[in-house]
Amino acid sequence: MTARRTAVPADPDQLAVLNQFLREFWTAAALAPPGMQPFELALEEIFMNIVMHGSQPGRTPWVEVSLDGAAAETVTMTVEDDGPLFDPLCLPPPDLAAGLEQRPVGGLGVFLVRQIMDAVSYQRVGARNQLRMIKSLAS
Amino acid sequence: MKLRIEALAEATYVIPEGRLDFDAAPGFQESVERIFSAAGKAPAVVIIDGTGLEYVSSAGLRAVLLAARAAQRAGSAFALCALQPAVREVFDLSGFSRIIAVHADRAAALAQAQQGRP
Repeated sequence: MTARRTAVPADPDQLAVLNQFLREFWTAAALAPPGMQPFELALEEIFMNIVMHGSQPGRTPWVEVSLDGAAAETVTMTVEDDGPLFDPLCLPPPDLAAGLEQRPVGGLGVFLVRQIMDAVSYQRVGARNQLRMIKSLAS
Repeated sequence: MKLRIEALAEATYVIPEGRLDFDAAPGFQESVERIFSAAGKAPAVVIIDGTGLEYVSSAGLRAVLLAARAAQRAGSAFALCALQPAVREVFDLSGFSRIIAVHADRAAALAQAQQGRP
C-alpha cells in the first residue's frame, strides 16, 4: 500500500504541482500509466472548482490532496479544502440532450468526475470540505 | 499545448498537440475563433485533428463547444477526428460527441463535411 499527501494554496499555478505529485505517487505505487488519466482529470476539475468558487476576498483556501493505492487494486483520492461549505455533488447534471446552441458551457467538470470514477462522496469535516473519489484499476 | 493550423484547399485543419486543459483552453479558443473572424470568407470546412491531443478537461471541452458554435455562425462545417481513446472517452461521457461530429480520420471527416454541399 502506498499513500501520499500534499497541500497547496488554491491558486491555478499549483495544478502543475499537484499533477507532479500524482505522477510521483503513480510511479511509487507501481501502477500502470494508462490508469492515471481519470485521476488527472478529476484532480483538475475538483481543484479548479475550489480555485474558482472557494476563494473569498483576501482569503485563499488551502487544498490537501491524498492518494492511496496499490498495483492492480483501487486508488482513492481525497481532496480537502478549508473554504466555505460547498458540496459539488449538489450541482445539477448538465442537459446532455441539449443541442449545440442550447448546451450550457458550464457545469461539466463535476459531472465528468462522477462519470469517470467508481464512487464519489462528499463530507463536511469540521471546517473543511472533503471529497473522496475511488476507482478500481482492474478492468 | 502546441497548436498548428493548416489551411488547405479542401479544409482548414486545427492540430492541437499535448494537453487541452484550463491553462491551454483560452489560447486554443482564441486561435480557432481567429479562423472565423479573419478577413475574407470563412473556410467551408474546419476539422480538429486530435492525433496529438493527449488530454482534455471540461475547460478544453468548453473551448471546443465555443469553436463549434463559431463555426455554425460562420456557416462552416465543423468536425473532430482521430481522437485518442482517453480523449474520446471524455467527449463521449460529456455527451459532446452527440452534438459535434467525431470521425475516425481526416478522410472520413472531410467526406462527411462535404456531403450535402454544392
